[in-house]
This record gives sequence, C-alpha cells and structure tokens, in this order.
Amino acid sequence: MLRYTARRLLLMSITVIGMVTVVFFLLRAIPGDPASYMLGDYATEESVAALKAELGLDRPVWEQYLGFVKRALTGDLGTSVVTGQPAFDEVLESIPWSAALSVSGIIIAVLAGVPLGVMSAVRHGTFADLFVMLGALIGISFPVFWVGLVCILLLAHEVRLFPALGASSSQDFFTQVHHLMLPALVLGFSVAAYIARLTRSAMLEVLGQDFVRVARAMGVPERRIVYRLALRNALIPVLAVIGVTFAWSLGSAILVEAVFSRPGLGSMILKAVFARDYQLVQAGVFVLASAVVLVNTSLDIVYGWVDPRVSVS
Amino acid sequence: MRKIFSALALTLSVALIGTTAGAAELRVRIGSDVGNLDPARIFGIENQTVASHVYNGMVKYDQATNKILPDLATSWSVSADGTEYTFKLRDGVMFHKGYGQLTSDDVKFSLERVLNPDTKSRYAGQLAGVKAVEAPDPLTVKIVLDAPNAGLLNKLTDFNQGWIASRKAVTEIGDKQYAMQPIGTGPFMFDKWSPGNQVRVVANKDHFGGPPSLDAVTFRIIKDETAAAIALENGEIDVFFALQSPPVIDRLKKADGIAVLNRVANHTINLVLNQSVKPLDDIRVRKAIAYGINREALISGYFKGTKAPGHSVITSSFPEYTEELPQYAHDPEKAKALLKEAGQEGFTLELVTVGLSPYNELVIPMASDLEKVGIKTKITVLERGAYLQARGKGDIMTCITGIVGPPDPDSPLVSLYATKSFPPGMNTSRYNKADDLLASAAAEQDPAKRTAIYQQIMGQTMEDVPVLPLYADQLFLAHSSKVKGLVQNSLFTVQAHTVSLEE
Repeated sequence: MLRYTARRLLLMSITVIGMVTVVFFLLRAIPGDPASYMLGDYATEESVAALKAELGLDRPVWEQYLGFVKRALTGDLGTSVVTGQPAFDEVLESIPWSAALSVSGIIIAVLAGVPLGVMSAVRHGTFADLFVMLGALIGISFPVFWVGLVCILLLAHEVRLFPALGASSSQDFFTQVHHLMLPALVLGFSVAAYIARLTRSAMLEVLGQDFVRVARAMGVPERRIVYRLALRNALIPVLAVIGVTFAWSLGSAILVEAVFSRPGLGSMILKAVFARDYQLVQAGVFVLASAVVLVNTSLDIVYGWVDPRVSVS
Repeated sequence: MRKIFSALALTLSVALIGTTAGAAELRVRIGSDVGNLDPARIFGIENQTVASHVYNGMVKYDQATNKILPDLATSWSVSADGTEYTFKLRDGVMFHKGYGQLTSDDVKFSLERVLNPDTKSRYAGQLAGVKAVEAPDPLTVKIVLDAPNAGLLNKLTDFNQGWIASRKAVTEIGDKQYAMQPIGTGPFMFDKWSPGNQVRVVANKDHFGGPPSLDAVTFRIIKDETAAAIALENGEIDVFFALQSPPVIDRLKKADGIAVLNRVANHTINLVLNQSVKPLDDIRVRKAIAYGINREALISGYFKGTKAPGHSVITSSFPEYTEELPQYAHDPEKAKALLKEAGQEGFTLELVTVGLSPYNELVIPMASDLEKVGIKTKITVLERGAYLQARGKGDIMTCITGIVGPPDPDSPLVSLYATKSFPPGMNTSRYNKADDLLASAAAEQDPAKRTAIYQQIMGQTMEDVPVLPLYADQLFLAHSSKVKGLVQNSLFTVQAHTVSLEE
C-alpha cells in the first residue's frame, strides 16, 4: 500500500513537470512575443529588442528554461509582463472561482447522475430508461456554451430566476451562490450525463452477475440487492471516473466561464495566452495540472484502498 | 428533498433582497480585463477608461466638443518663437492615498519618464520634440521644444502620456508594480482589481473639482455582448461600454428603460495604397479604386448602418472636420474609364489584411466591387505578427490600417502622410507631398490659420488618395434610464465624473 502511494506521488510530480515543460516550449513556439504585445503595433525594432533583452527573451530557449526551473524551485513563478505583479498572485485570485465552479458542478453531476443511472439500470428498457438516456445523450453531445446561452436566455431573461452574470461584485456569500447556481447547473448537466451513462452500464453489468442472481434466489429484497450489493460494486468504476471528469470539467469550465462572464483559471490562461504573458500562462498551467493530477492521484489511492485488487496489478 | 428546496428558496430570496440600495455605485460593462494603468505603458480602451477616472492631465478635452480646457494647469503662455510653454499649476491639488500635493516636479517626472528610453514607453514618440521639462518653482512648469509645435497642448491632454502620476508613488511602489497600483489626482481613486471579474474605483472626496456624485464605479468584465445586453436589461449593470454588434444595438434600442447613445469616433479604417508598387503610382489607378469600391454599401450592408462615412481621416468628432473635400461616391463607370485612360485594365490588386474581424471580412465585398470594374484581386489574410512584419517591410501592395487617437489632427495626418512615419510607422503608402504643410501647421500659432492648413492637407491627400478612408467608426454606448448626466466622448473611454444615479 505504502509503495503504491509513493509510486503514485512520484508519477504525479513527473506529470506536472512534464506538463509545465511542454507548455514552456509551446508558448515560445507561437508567433509573437510579450515585448511586441506591450509596445504595440508601431514600436521600433530597437525598443522591442531592448524590452526583449530586459525580459531575457533574447537568450536561447534552453537557457530561459533553466532559469525558469531554477526560480520555480525557489517558489518564484515570475512576474506578469503586463501587470508587473507576481504571476502566482493572479493565479491565487482565480483558484477560488474555478474551485467553486468545478466542485459544485461535480457535486451536482454526482447527485443527479448516479441516481438517474441507477434508475435507468433498474428500469432497463422502460420509458424512464429511454428518457434518461436521451437526456444524457443531449448532455454529452450539446456543447456546453450553447446550453449555457440557452439557459441564460430562458432562466435569466425570460424567467428571471438567476442573474445573467456568473459572478457577483458582492462579497455576500448567498449572492455569490446565487450567481454560481446557473453556471454550476450547466457544467453539472454535461458531467451528469457522462456519470449517468457510466453508472447505468456498471449497474447493468453487476446486476447480471452470479452473486446477484444467488441473492435474488435467496429471496433478498430487491431494494437491498440494488442499493447494498449492486450499487456498491458499480460505484467503484464510477469513483475512478470522477477523477477523469474533474479534468474534463475544468476544460468545460473555460467555456462556462466565457458564457457567464465568470473569472477563473481557464479564462485567465486564455487571456494570458493572447497577451503572450508567458509567466502567467506557466503559473496557471502549473496550478491547473497540479490540481488535475492531485485529484486523480488521491482518487487512485482511495480506489486502491476501497478495492485492494488494484494495487496488486 | 424538501430541505434542499427550502434552502434553495432561502438562498434565492436572500440574494434578491441582497442587492440593497445605499451607496451610489455605478456598474459599467467593459469587454475585457484590465492589466496596466501606468500612463507611460497603458494600452487598450478598458485600461484607458479606468485610468481616466484616476488621473488628470495638464489640460483636458471637453467631453462633448473636444475643445481644450484647463485641468491641472490653470493657465499657460507661449513664448514669441513658439518653443517655450509656461504652465501655472492649480494650487492645493492632492494625490490619492496620502501621496502629497501635486507639484511641478511630478509633472516633470511624469513627462520625463515617458521620454526616458529605459521606460520603453509606447508614447515617447508623442512627446518627441520636447527638449526639456523644467520646474522653476513648485507651481510652474516650463516645457522647452526643439521647434515650434502648436499642437503641443493636444499631447498634454488627459490621455495616455498626458496623465500626471506622482513621483513619490511611482518611486515607492516600484516602476513595474505601479501598473496595478496607480496614484493620481482624479475624481476617483483606484480601489481593487479582481482579475477576470472586475475593477473598482471609489470617489475621491477631496477632488479639486468637487467630490463626484457617485460613491464608486465598478467595471465588470463581460466579454459576450448578448450576455451584457441581458445584464443591462436585468439591471445587473448600468452602463454598457463598447457596444459593437449590430443585432445587440438593435435589441437595446427597442428595450424599455434603456438609452442607446452613439457618436462618431476619432477612428477611421483605411485602405492604404502603396505608391511604390506599380501601377499604384498612377493617380488615375488610385482614383479608380476609390470610385470602384462601394463604401456606401459596406456601411449600410455589412455594418447595418452602425458606421459613418469616411470623408477623410479627420472624422466629424475633430474640431477641424470638413466635408469640403474631393469625394469618391461609388461610380463603377468612372472607375472603368479611369483605368482605361491609365491603360491598366485587368491588373491584379493584392488586398492584404490582418486575420481579425471585421478587416478580414470587409475585403471580400471590396474585392467583388473591384472585380466588377475590371481590377483583378487577390486577398491575402495574415496572422497579426506576420501582418505587422509585412507592413513594417513596406513592400505589400495594400493594407488595411485603422487609425485612432485623441482628437488632435496632427496625429492621424502625420502618421499616415509624413515621410518620417515610415519606417517605422503607418505611412506605408509612401506619400511624400505633405511634409511642408504639416511643418507649417505645427509652426502656426493662430488656431484659425492652423485649421485652414490642416483642411488644405485633408483636401490635398483626398485628391491624391494614397489612403482611402473606408469608414469612420461610431461608438455606441447603452445605459439604463437611472443613469443621469453621462456625456459620451469620442475617445473610446467612458467617464463617470458627471454621472449620478437616480433611484
């Protein structure tokens, strides 16, 4: 168990380092640079060159990379070229927004997806099953930004249940929650669709297994079979998949953030890429990659603990 | 389940009541995040809008008429030879947050900081020709020029390089860090920036012009125009800044309790014809292109009437504006005749543009208009970096150049027509016949004569058409009827100085 955990943690740090390295080089491969962005369209070549030298962009890329790694090891992720503030500060400001959206989205998805999937499996082939699966198909195939816009038009404009803006200027907790609801529902819907389908197929598989038939033959009540025996087994793959959905929800969150004018890591990284704000992109990707890897690793560890068969293989 | 519902209902009701009145706070939509409020390095209309609340200049533009008025300087005089400007500063102006009284040293510091190559200010060129900034006593500033420049006041208005920062603040906060911790003398003080969400300024009760009626202004970052329109209709914001999309403009015009303002901006979009490439050296060919492109249809069709005709690069928001210029109303027959006369029927015109909307879309109807008069066209759409590089080299046949700035006629005319504006710069038509007139306008101290010279330049350049103005941009702004006293300027900013909120 301990060895398994240690190995997972090692793999985790390698993944994060790899991600940040790839992003470091990719960024420098995109045409354009922070110096020309800062100085505008009509800057002279000398002034661009001077700013590049000041930012260290005139040195070879590998040298820049070594410098970046050296500073990163001391906990310094650099200063944003545009704002002159430490890049990590802006990332820190964005984390609560992203965390609130992703976590509430996943909670909604699990609360809706698991029961619906179970119901679908138990009533396999009925109208209810068809209905849930159709809903799930819509959730998976309709782009989240489209669903978001439709929700704004219907629920924020026609029926004014929610605000159109996904973020509030108020510090008040309830106001913030009110603003969060619609984006979280939209994000939750797309993830719920995925979880519902997975739960359904896992349940169907378990319900078809011998021990369930034995239990049925022994006269164990159906309720008990479904919730005590089948669901417990079916939830193991679902648990593992939540980690994957977390990464996926962070990806969808960028679109949700854009539609609902909500701050977050995704929109911050996007803004930084357009401004070629290298330090900000790197700091953002570092945190994002760490979050995904951390969640996946902890779920893997929990998974291994719930299901001892895993660590052996 | 019932518990969840009651919790939900409670949250909803609390949230709905939560938006209580009290402090008068104006909520303004801006289209993208801010990032740099340092006058020497500022760029982008969002940053400029926020900064215009925080800073003052030596002089300022009247928001409605663009006439120059006193701001931090109460009076000024010009030496007989036009090379020395002496400004008297307003007494007792205090910088925000305890950074002390404004003195001539802060003015000297701010202007010299822009001029200093180490600052790498994109506005150093605006102050080119300033030989020295002197501070003989705390309330007197003397600016010495290399040569007379009657347009100097325009460069010292409350915009970009003209904004005066505090020496003490920049030094103590740090040259780079100052970007998001600005200290000025304006009617509002910088309060807090929440990245990606909003930036807030609060009233400066000690402002020399009297305290503003509002307590605070919050600039909300809302990218999508449809979402912003719904937010305005729902009362989640009060002012919709940088409204552009024709369907959204249409929608808001029809909405109740919302006013839509518009004004022609100091911004034209131009087709630049490179005279160093044949056959564009022939004036008849350039005129044929001008007659051949249906600019009226571009405005009424593609832009649904949301832009204004470009009579010259000096739009109707400039005090020097005139329509008494050579015009090129769409006339395909005349275009064909001119091409025939020049012996250039069937040459190929390369239309080069940056891959950004609307430029990359505009060139399509333009190309089809030109094909109809017998000019073959080739559309080249380049990524921004590649486009700037190609334009910088100056060997592309045409390009689409937008020109924007304060209502100072010198700036667009010099940028597009002076030989010193290339390279580097925007005179990629290589026009070289306006230098003498531009120099005499700069030396002319009499405003009426100076205007006449600028109008002469406009007439001559429209006759020679090295640059064809495609349209003049119009700025749209929507606000709820609660907002009183909002004056729309032509600078691509919105100012809340005179605004009050009615319940």
